[in-house]
Amino acid sequence: MAKMHSLVFVPALALSLVSSAQVPTLQVPARLIAGQAFTIPTHGQGEKTFYLLGPGSVVKRTVELGTEVKVTGAEIAAAGRYLALSCGSDGCSGTDFFVLPGDAVKISFLLHPSRVPVTAHNAINATAFVFDQFHNPVLRPVTVDFRVLPKNGPAFTKSVKTVQGVAWSEMSPAAKEGPVKVIATVGEQEEPRVIQQVASEACNLRIKARRTSKGVEVETDPVRDCHGNAVPDGTIVSVTAVDAQGRTTVDAPVKKGIARTQLPIHGSATISVASGVAIGNEIKL
Amino acid sequence: MTLIAADFGKLGRSTLMSVASMLALAILAPVLVAALRADSIPAVKLNADQIAPRAIEELTGRNVTRDYAYAWRDLAAASESARADLLNDYFTGFAKDKLVRRIADQQKTGVRIRYIDHGHNVRALFYAPDGGEMQLVDNAQLEIEIRDGSKIIYREKVNQQYLVLMTPGADRWFVRSLDQLADHP
Repeated sequence: MAKMHSLVFVPALALSLVSSAQVPTLQVPARLIAGQAFTIPTHGQGEKTFYLLGPGSVVKRTVELGTEVKVTGAEIAAAGRYLALSCGSDGCSGTDFFVLPGDAVKISFLLHPSRVPVTAHNAINATAFVFDQFHNPVLRPVTVDFRVLPKNGPAFTKSVKTVQGVAWSEMSPAAKEGPVKVIATVGEQEEPRVIQQVASEACNLRIKARRTSKGVEVETDPVRDCHGNAVPDGTIVSVTAVDAQGRTTVDAPVKKGIARTQLPIHGSATISVASGVAIGNEIKL
Repeated sequence: MTLIAADFGKLGRSTLMSVASMLALAILAPVLVAALRADSIPAVKLNADQIAPRAIEELTGRNVTRDYAYAWRDLAAASESARADLLNDYFTGFAKDKLVRRIADQQKTGVRIRYIDHGHNVRALFYAPDGGEMQLVDNAQLEIEIRDGSKIIYREKVNQQYLVLMTPGADRWFVRSLDQLADHP
C-alpha cells in the first residue's frame, strides 16, 4: 500500500486518484486514426519514462521533458483504447484515448457452399467482413457489392450495407449448372470466389432393357434434372425387378450421364427405376 | 563401513525423496496449473435473443459461452506472464496476431498486464446461416493493473465493450477477432 500512495492515477479515466504529487496529464490529439503518427508535447526538465499500451502494442521509452514524444504509425496500428503514461520519481500521469479504424480497404469474403444444386432456394450464403489497411474492423456502415457472374446467364449485383463490419446476403442459384463467380467489392478491393452449381434431383427417368445370356441388361437414358442439367456422375439410380422369385433391387451409379446394370432374370418380370424422389418408367418383360 | 553405508543409505534416501518430490512436482505441475487456471474462469453470460439471421442452438450457445470464458482466462494468463503460447488454445487469426505482438512487446519492455476479471455480459448479434461465424458484443467488467517489473504503474476499473468474432473449430469455438469499441466509457 505504501507504494500505492506514491502513484498518480490518470484523471481523464475517472479513477480513484491516489497521489502524492500533481503531475500534468499528457495531451493527446482528440481524434486519432489507426496508423497515423502523432506527437505528445511534454513540459518541464529532466527525464521520464513514457509508456504507451494498446490492444496490439506496448511501448516504453525514456523521454526528455520539454521535447515532443513521437509516436509512430506502427505503434498505433491496432484500433482501440490506448493508455499513455509518463512516469518519474514523482509518480505517473497519463491519459487514455481511442484510435479509430481507417477507411475500408480490405475485405474478407466467405461464400458457402462450394457446390449447390440449381433448385436450392436461397442456398448461397455470402458473408463479407470489412477492414482498414491494418485489419481493424470498420464498424461504420460501408456498402459491399456482391457481383454474381454465372457462366450461363446474366450477371447481377447485390449491394449490402455492413452492420458492425459485416455484410451478408443469401442468393438463389441460376437454373443452369456450371461455375458461378461471386466478387465481393469494397472500394477498390475485390475478392472473387467461385462455387459450382450442380444439377438437382433426377427428373423424367427412363430405362430400356434387353435380354442377354446372363439375364437382363437395364440402361437409363441420359439422367437429367427437371431443368435439363445432367446429374453428376456417381448419382445412384435404383433398378427394381419383380419376378416369380420375388423382388431384386440393384443400385447403379451414373457414369458419363447413364446408369447401367445387369439383373439375373430369365423369366418374365416387371422392372422399375427410381433415383431420390424421382420415379421412372416401368418395363414388363 | 556400516556407518558410511548408513550415511550413504541416508543420503540415498534423502536424494531419492528429493528426486521423487521433484518428479511428483513435475508430473503434478501441469495439473496444478490447469486447476489454478480452471479456478480463474471468468463469468460469461450470453444473451442470444437478438441474434440474426440464424437462431443459435442451445448446445452451440453453451459451447460459445464456455470457450469465450476460456479465451479470457488464457488472455489474462498470457498478459500477466508475457507468454504467447497460452493463447494457442482459444485464439486464432487477427485476434491472436494482435495479442502475440503485444506480448512480444511486453517481453521486450518488462511490462506486465494483469486483468482481474469481473465478468462478461455478451450479446450475440450475427450468426451466419452456414454456422461458420458468430459475432458478439461483450460488455466486460475488468480491473487492469499494469506493472513495470515489480512496480505497479497504473491500475483502473473499466467497463469495456468488445466486438468479438468467433468461428468454430473441430472441438471448440475460437476467438478470431477481439476489438474494443470506442463508444463506451
